[in-house]
Amino acid sequence: MITKEATAAAPAPPRTAPEPPRPAKRRRAWDEAPRWQIYLPLGIYLVFTLIPFYWILLFALRPAGSTSLVPWPMTTVHFEKVWTDRGFGTFFYNSVLVGVVTLLMTTLVALAGGYALARFDFKVKRGFMLALLCSQFVPGALLLVPLFEIFAGLQMINSLISVIIAETVFQLPLSMILISNFIKNVPYSLEEAAWVDGCNRFRAFRVVVLPLLRPGLIAVGSFAFVHSWNHFLFALMFLNNQEKQTIPVGLNTLMSADSVDLGALAAGGIIAAVPVVIVFAFIQKWLITGFSAGAVKG
Amino acid sequence: MKISILAHSAGRGRRTSAAVALGAVLALTATACGDDGSGAGGDGAEGSGKGKIVFWDNNGGVRTDIWKQIIADFEKANPDIDVQYVGIASTEYQSKVDTAIQADGLPDVGGISASMLAGFAAQGALDPLDDRLEGSSLNGKLNKDLVESLRAAGGGDDKLYSVPTSANNGVLYYRTDLFEKAGLEEPTTWERFFEAAEKLTDKGGNKFGYTIRGGSGSIAQALDAMYGQSGITSFWDATGKKTTVNDPKNVEALEKYAALFKKVTPAADLNNDFTKMVAQWDSGEIGMLNHNLGSYQDHVKALGADKFRGIPQPVGPDGKRVQVSNPVDGVGLFKSSKNKEAAWKFIEFATSAESSSKFNESAGQVPAHLDAAKADWIAKAEPTKLAADALTDGSTTIVQLPYYLPDWNTLSKAESEPNFQKVLLGDMSAKDFLDGLAEKLNEAQAEWDEQMG
Repeated sequence: MITKEATAAAPAPPRTAPEPPRPAKRRRAWDEAPRWQIYLPLGIYLVFTLIPFYWILLFALRPAGSTSLVPWPMTTVHFEKVWTDRGFGTFFYNSVLVGVVTLLMTTLVALAGGYALARFDFKVKRGFMLALLCSQFVPGALLLVPLFEIFAGLQMINSLISVIIAETVFQLPLSMILISNFIKNVPYSLEEAAWVDGCNRFRAFRVVVLPLLRPGLIAVGSFAFVHSWNHFLFALMFLNNQEKQTIPVGLNTLMSADSVDLGALAAGGIIAAVPVVIVFAFIQKWLITGFSAGAVKG
Repeated sequence: MKISILAHSAGRGRRTSAAVALGAVLALTATACGDDGSGAGGDGAEGSGKGKIVFWDNNGGVRTDIWKQIIADFEKANPDIDVQYVGIASTEYQSKVDTAIQADGLPDVGGISASMLAGFAAQGALDPLDDRLEGSSLNGKLNKDLVESLRAAGGGDDKLYSVPTSANNGVLYYRTDLFEKAGLEEPTTWERFFEAAEKLTDKGGNKFGYTIRGGSGSIAQALDAMYGQSGITSFWDATGKKTTVNDPKNVEALEKYAALFKKVTPAADLNNDFTKMVAQWDSGEIGMLNHNLGSYQDHVKALGADKFRGIPQPVGPDGKRVQVSNPVDGVGLFKSSKNKEAAWKFIEFATSAESSSKFNESAGQVPAHLDAAKADWIAKAEPTKLAADALTDGSTTIVQLPYYLPDWNTLSKAESEPNFQKVLLGDMSAKDFLDGLAEKLNEAQAEWDEQMG
């Protein structure tokens, strides 16, 4: 039960005198270091990191049986095979659907829950926060049987909805904590000012607070998308129809008990990785800000 | 300042929220289009012999196409029955079935190999098939050894829970081009095998004589090499209570086999599972590889059929070949099926001569159906033919691994693989490793005997 609002959670910053001019920045040792001392270790690290990706690309683009170290002559036959013969087109669509809906549901619910945690005090708030944190220690595999039974009772086995709900529920605790910390950083006085101007709580939140939460929302949303995109267990257990399976499950079936088509596996791996890489390329700027600003403070 | 949460517009807001929430729930429910897991539940029922059945393939992916073809043939012959195919990766099949057993979500029919049969049977998930088989056209048409192998793996009650589809067999693949170049003879004996492994190795040139399996699945391969060299023909001694794995002859054989690591194999073999092992053999210059019939097509695609051969395991000094058993694959009927009549019709069809031939030609394995084993394609697939001959012409003694022990998978994998890596690295002696394994196996067998009365 909500008893009072946490108005003291984020006091408005006091007005201060203008800051004195900063002293001249001391040149640090690495500013004077020769370029090669910076770029050589970075280059080695980059090569070390990128070699496995190059290897995947190599297997995906060179013909089966080729031992060439460059993907030439190039072939797209592995991509065609996994996309059409192995159903990756369908798996991709299903994964996008699960990822996007999980992103939306996680963000919306985390926003509402996070706002409550940031702005209201209620009797079991500490216990609730503790429960949220503790829920992170419970592995999904432990809950498979009860979840299966619940979804079976709701006639949701073999439906993407079961995977979306399970993914959302497992994403929510961390997302809520992140969002609540982010909201705490927005001065409460801004909302109060909006109320004075005639806004109700929802409108004040929507017009004043929400735009300031963009980095946090992007961080939480992208985290939810990437996690559900890569997550294997729930899709494997709750979906019993080939037409409804997702990319990680499909990827797993490219390896049989005694045989593996490495070209197809590499092509499937690239199809699985590309959306995540694109998402990160676009959002990395906000992601770092979002996670650092929403981080739990000691 | 204290502001009531019930703000002036809360009433309208709450109604809106409730409407949105209700709408969302209804929309989600309407679009759910799911079911309760399968058409199965409780002790099941014979059903009408019509309608829908669900089939879980225990090695989905590469076999999906051929199963879909068999299903299409079946549905054409039985227009009243609809089979829903679900391909599940072999690595995840056991956990999926175990979860489904607990949550009452099993399908009607599933692929059941000997290696996982004991676990499923112990949980009471499978229907015995003896009576159905007796009254079926399959009776007397299936390879007796394979039927008995599955019966023995079933859990000690002498019932058959899975109708065999195929037999796999250990194969020694070797590069004919490299052997010819080095002037080596075919590795048909263990002596020639060790000699070739050494002569084909040129570490500086990144050429190796052999690739050893040090990672996942290493134990079955090591046991194959041990029993093959020692010539011991039974996994248990005459009393049936003590295993022969730590027999001095086996210890000596393992020492010799493990000594190959890094001497004639890549150092990275320590973590070799079959994927890595097969990949490096297919793309490098390695003389020999031990695997089974399942990877034959991968080698053909990578190397071409003329650059390698796949032959049965080498013979020992007395000219006799001893191999450990490979799990027989089959199809089982889950007890909870509500449409057992239709499910059995599908099992009969899938293991019939025609389907068995199609399936095994695609999988490169030895058909369990005797008529399918005479099909023309077998003569053209050399490793399959040689394996089929080895399994049937009396030249090979098969050491039956104790798949019936519920702990066998744990003992032969999670509990033993890290110790085998220690043996390869020289951190543990072969004797200590085998003594430890033997102790656990003897305990498991004693426990099993006690349970069986």
